[in-house]
Amino acid sequence: MPHAIWSGTINFGLVTIPVKLFTAVRTNELRFNFLHKKDGGRINNVRRCSLDGEEVPYADVARGYEYEKGKYVVLGDEDFKNASVEATQSVDIVQFVDLTEINPMFFDTPYYLEPEKKGRHAYALLREALKDANKVGIAKVVLRAREHLAALKPNGDALVLELMHFNDEIVAQSDFDFPEAEKMPANELKVAKMLIDTMSATFEPAQFHDTYKQKLLGLIEARAAGKEIPRIRGKAPAPTNVVNLMDVLQRSLAESKSTGSARGSKNGKKSDEKAKTTRRKRSAA
Amino acid sequence: MPAAARTLVKVGKRELSLSNLDKVLWPDDGYTKGDLIAYYRSVAQWIVPHLKGRPLTMERYPNGIDAPAFWEKNAPRGLPPWVETVAVPSDDGRRKTIDFILCNDEATLVYVANLASIVLHVWQSHVGSLERPDYLLFDLDPNRCSIATLARVAIRFRDMVRELGLDALVKTTGGKGLHLVIPLVPQYSYDAAKTFGELIARRVHEEVPKLTTLERTIAKRPAGTVMLDWVQVGEGKTMAAPFSVRPRPRAPVSWPLGWDEVEAMTRKRAPDTAAEMARWTIENVPGLLRKGGDRWAGRGWKEQRLEPALKKARQLWG
Repeated sequence: MPHAIWSGTINFGLVTIPVKLFTAVRTNELRFNFLHKKDGGRINNVRRCSLDGEEVPYADVARGYEYEKGKYVVLGDEDFKNASVEATQSVDIVQFVDLTEINPMFFDTPYYLEPEKKGRHAYALLREALKDANKVGIAKVVLRAREHLAALKPNGDALVLELMHFNDEIVAQSDFDFPEAEKMPANELKVAKMLIDTMSATFEPAQFHDTYKQKLLGLIEARAAGKEIPRIRGKAPAPTNVVNLMDVLQRSLAESKSTGSARGSKNGKKSDEKAKTTRRKRSAA
Repeated sequence: MPAAARTLVKVGKRELSLSNLDKVLWPDDGYTKGDLIAYYRSVAQWIVPHLKGRPLTMERYPNGIDAPAFWEKNAPRGLPPWVETVAVPSDDGRRKTIDFILCNDEATLVYVANLASIVLHVWQSHVGSLERPDYLLFDLDPNRCSIATLARVAIRFRDMVRELGLDALVKTTGGKGLHLVIPLVPQYSYDAAKTFGELIARRVHEEVPKLTTLERTIAKRPAGTVMLDWVQVGEGKTMAAPFSVRPRPRAPVSWPLGWDEVEAMTRKRAPDTAAEMARWTIENVPGLLRKGGDRWAGRGWKEQRLEPALKKARQLWG
């Protein structure tokens, strides 16, 4: 059972549903430690002051905001504490909206919400109601001392809390030069759609793999097992269908048979005779 | 240099006039052309059976292994009248046929060695059935891989053809790699044999993709892999014969190995395959042959059929 990162309640109207929050997405990045090439020693980062060159203990570290080149406003722990919103321990739903209204780019990180025992019924009720209405709840939630905008979405048997970007985090499309939606020639559109049709398939995420990671992992496993390391390479040569080869071979063997060994000797004699060998005449030299 | 110091020798009933026996062919080791001829004479009874009736291509090093060499298919002018040859139609426009030497006896062997032909390449088929190979050759060419990897791939190869009911033989090339050979009844076309070779090579590559490559371009071969070469099969394609010498330091010899020796190699730590393969040289091979004989001779060479193997392959992989 994974570890809950938060527990609180979903609040809307007069209803409260006690829930726990769990990570729903793991970024499976491989993590590496820095080692000294020469002797394999772990490399430590040392906080060092750029003015006096002294190593600085963590307790003496403050945070500075560079408001102008080389000029800092210094903030202490107190300042952060004062600015941080109250940890409300609740997902406060402020409105329900149609899912289609939300630009998918706003969605950032999903979390699972799991109901506490006494909240199971209300949890299921909310989930099914959202499904039926095709709505999602827009909520405010405080996680790790920061306030987030989030959407509460039904997903299978779960309610998922998906943290969202704030509006000012989304880069505006007007910053770019995208072609406008002018009237497309019908025949060109038709061809493009045909192409899309031929390449249409059911999305199966399991088909797609992080090959870079797999190759690195393969290499790591092999090296950990003390085996020789095959170099990571881009593409293996395309395997020729073994079945095809067997068919070709079958035909080849059949042809070998039908011609027998008649061509074995150019003058049609039995193969053991040295029919084609000659003894050179001295005159050739 | 004194012009053509000649030495008369009698080999069987033939008399040969040998030249420049003191010419050093291996500058680092000091081996001379006389040493080369002496080696080939000492192994004649074992090597001639592998050469007999097979068109011979010479790889001649008249000025030693560090100087340019040339390959010679056509029998040179001045060929003694008793040397047997075979005329093979040529696809080279300059002449209609090539007269290949057939190294059918010790005297011819001495004659060829006297031409400083260090390597003796022979066809994979015999006179009388030149279009029908009597063995299938795979070249396992290591690409900066360890001896253990090379040996592991060879064992995988052996096991795979064994699953199909075929026995494979193995020898050092005398260079860095290994030759795997499946003796065949001389009834199949080169095309059929080669297709079978491709089938096996691809299957082996599928099973150990990290240890092998099928890449033909040397620069594109991943380091640490074994190149599985199945295309050295065809009419006119050759293989350096067992016990043929190679133009490399220490004068290594292509040596038929026992599979137990290859299995032992899988446990070796030696990083350099060439050094390992140079354990068999013109110095020790004659003694080894006198003591143990030729693994590939007599019952060691079993001609096999491809049809049952294909049937088995269809059951296993179809």
